[in-house]
Amino acid sequence: MATREAEQAFVARSWGRADPGFYQANCASCHVTTCFDCHGGGGHQLALPGKEDCHSCHRGYYVGADYYGMAPREDALRYQRGPDFQGEHYLKMSADVHQRAGMRCGDCHSMASLAAGRKSAVSCRDCHQPDPTIIEHSIAGHLENLECYSCHSAWAAQEYGTFFVRFRDSSYQQYFHVRRDQTADNYIRSAYLRRQNLPPLGINEEGRISPIRPQYLAYFSDVVGEEAVGEENRLLTAEWRAFFPHTVTRGTPMCDACHHDPQRFLLGDPETRIYRPEQDGLTLGSFWEQEGQDVVNGSFYPRQRFDNMSRRSPEFVKAYVQKWKNLTESVAPSLP
Amino acid sequence: MADFRFFLFLAVTTVFLSGCWFAGADESTCVACHQGLEHVSPTHNDCVDCHGGDATEKDKDLSHRGMFGKKNPAAPKVWDKTCGSCHPYQLERVKSNLMTTATGMIKNIQLTWEGEDGRLYANQTLETHAADGTPVTLEGVAALDHLSGELYRKFCALCHVSIESNQIWEGSHGAGCAACHFPYNENATYQGGDETVKGKWPYSASHEMQVLPDNSVCVRCHNRSGRIALNYQGLNDGNNSLVPTSNGFPGPQIIGGVRNVTAIAPDIHHEKGMECIDCHTSRDLMGDGYAYENMYHQVEIRCEDCHGSATERPTFATVQRENDEAVRESQHYQRQVQMGDELILTSKGRKYSNVFQEDDKIWVVGKRSGKRHESKVITDTPEHTIAGHERMACYSCHSQSVAQCYGCHTQYDLRTTGRDFIKQQDTPGAFSESEDYRMLYPFPLALDQRGMISPVTPGCQTFVTVIERDGSRSKDSYVAVYDGEQRLRFAPFFGHNVGKKAVGCGDCHSNPAFVGFGQHVVEGDSINATLICEKSMDKPLDGFVTLKNGDYRAFSAIVREHSRPLNSQEVQRTWAVNQCLVCHPDPKDPIYQKELDYRELDTCLARPAAERTLNSSGD
Repeated sequence: MATREAEQAFVARSWGRADPGFYQANCASCHVTTCFDCHGGGGHQLALPGKEDCHSCHRGYYVGADYYGMAPREDALRYQRGPDFQGEHYLKMSADVHQRAGMRCGDCHSMASLAAGRKSAVSCRDCHQPDPTIIEHSIAGHLENLECYSCHSAWAAQEYGTFFVRFRDSSYQQYFHVRRDQTADNYIRSAYLRRQNLPPLGINEEGRISPIRPQYLAYFSDVVGEEAVGEENRLLTAEWRAFFPHTVTRGTPMCDACHHDPQRFLLGDPETRIYRPEQDGLTLGSFWEQEGQDVVNGSFYPRQRFDNMSRRSPEFVKAYVQKWKNLTESVAPSLP
Repeated sequence: MADFRFFLFLAVTTVFLSGCWFAGADESTCVACHQGLEHVSPTHNDCVDCHGGDATEKDKDLSHRGMFGKKNPAAPKVWDKTCGSCHPYQLERVKSNLMTTATGMIKNIQLTWEGEDGRLYANQTLETHAADGTPVTLEGVAALDHLSGELYRKFCALCHVSIESNQIWEGSHGAGCAACHFPYNENATYQGGDETVKGKWPYSASHEMQVLPDNSVCVRCHNRSGRIALNYQGLNDGNNSLVPTSNGFPGPQIIGGVRNVTAIAPDIHHEKGMECIDCHTSRDLMGDGYAYENMYHQVEIRCEDCHGSATERPTFATVQRENDEAVRESQHYQRQVQMGDELILTSKGRKYSNVFQEDDKIWVVGKRSGKRHESKVITDTPEHTIAGHERMACYSCHSQSVAQCYGCHTQYDLRTTGRDFIKQQDTPGAFSESEDYRMLYPFPLALDQRGMISPVTPGCQTFVTVIERDGSRSKDSYVAVYDGEQRLRFAPFFGHNVGKKAVGCGDCHSNPAFVGFGQHVVEGDSINATLICEKSMDKPLDGFVTLKNGDYRAFSAIVREHSRPLNSQEVQRTWAVNQCLVCHPDPKDPIYQKELDYRELDTCLARPAAERTLNSSGD
């Protein structure tokens, strides 16, 4: 958290290639400088971090605000409304079940674990044991291959195409009616497409199936005077990360959200894609095709495994039918 | 047809060769000044016939004195004397046309903004005839003294054909007939050959009449709200992020209101080269003389007209008279209707003028292009005769995407003034909008005005804030009463983004978002929304039904008569199919030709099933 090595390395292989001063200009404000950044007080009056102290950095697209049920809004000015959290507007989403139970960041993320460079002091199964009477928990493959939060994440913020545009001696910046609080003064940042639904899935460093998301599909344009110089809308890197959305819920999607959905694994059929980013000069044919993209802390889910997982084995059919039967029969007759 | 083009070519060259072709050309001072001005058409030959004025006066002011409608003789103030003097049939239709009166828009704003007063309004007071033929008076909307009237006059009124709009990039148009037949370019500037007008604003791009308007004319207005002209062409008015850049400027393509449009899959009909007017008849667009109250009553075309329904093939009538309407209508088409043509009929039983049956096949001919397209008939095919799908609108399965705008926050501020486009003056009260989220897929389904299951889109989720002159808020994110209850509203909607492939059976049946739950997770006998309406603890912003501990409820209305969300039995039937689809994914499977017997399932599960792999679609 304090050294920011990973973030600096990322910038070096992405926007830093276009602007060597990029990290200093656009990223440095989230760099921990002193103990007091988190521990308040001053001098010898150290304090425990308040629940909002974490979120001066862990906000926006970064895991943190999602815990409270807040997803980043679109960048255009007409979307700057709604719940305000530390000066940023968010979309109202369902909050993490732990947040609703009154738990704070520090309850899972102890000082000792953070100082030791670990993400968390506890994992899900330190506190929770899967109930084998739940259909999904009775499937051995689920418990062996999946992170709990692959099913139990209600949603995740996803940003497809993160544009940074630099302006020098240009009047054009004024035409970009997007929020201006995310960058240095001579930049604008805007996302081509945002979503906050179920995140795509891939494989994390532990070899388990995990939510993944773009972080980042990095695009850059350099505007000098009244024209773009160099390659406009240059794709600097297309990186995804396995991550843990802090949107844990008791519920889960139905079976079909994975077993039926190749796009969830970036294996969608190119013929039926709706978005056509390459027509807008974004290089990528689709955001949900693995080709030309990487998971930097894991890998994409192989097609062979998807095909295997999507076979309708007798065991699958039995569990699937039971699951849908339960939901269907739970609907009490009523008039809408 | 090539010979028509040749005729036009001849006509134009004759003008240039002889210097002028106007009646009394020798004396025409119009021609003397406006050299290089495009000819309107081969049959519109006299400046004064359309424009008035005096073609003998040399002085500009004297010559221009008494001109009709200044630069636009097609404007509603004068169209009786100009276009209408030769084209009374068209003018009388256009006068009662919804694109002119906006009666439907005004009525629906009233309905959803608590402004209903039992009256029907139009842009201007109009004596006309209702759909049932009885005389009706539409009152001028200037008299609608209600917030809904203000919204119409200050927000919506620019987008109808009786008022000029000239300050919207890619969204400007002239008034009256000229709105469609003398289109403006992207910035309403004349780009033709008359040096006295060249580069001037606001003028039509050319003085040549567009007899058959192309898509760029339709998109001038149909680019907001449902934005069907954009969706059709594969353009997404999405989050207006203004990227990627286009030579340093917001891009990739900018339309009015600081919005950008990005690329999505176009409608299959667009991909095949069909234009808006190739499906839509002149009665759809210009009206048929009756004053309908909603566009879905004025529009006479249906998918089934050309593609057949599950049980009935398209119907046709043979052209037996030379004065058949279709013969006249097609006179400027590349392919003119001939005696003996078997023309396909619309849902109102009237003839298309460009769709006919030949060798047992249905052919659509591009009105401007002449290109022939075979229209595949689906009648009696097993995937279209699925038991229980009788009520499905074609575009419930065949839409690739449906534009959905969630959360429309409208503010009316009496501390400033706003332009009233009907009264043509600034009056106290200015509107501004902000919003929550737009998306394309999945899209919810509900029953429409015909009792058919159809896509629905917010119509509208309006949260109204009114700021009084003293700065106090008399309404703060207010949700209006609709049909007796304070609630948000969805409207049946055809998104004009038909794909090659239909939405897969499992994609729809196994995703509760299609029933109206929005994005969600399932917890036992509850479906929990994950994108939440700010006004509630747990209701979906992107949906209109909830399931809590088995209790299924709808909390938003579906506007329009007979419309409603699916009821609990219908939802159960929808989901129960998943128990079959898992082994029988093919829509052509014979088990779907009769009502499903779920007791079969027990024996079914006892049998060893062959392993299958399902196909799916994605975005």
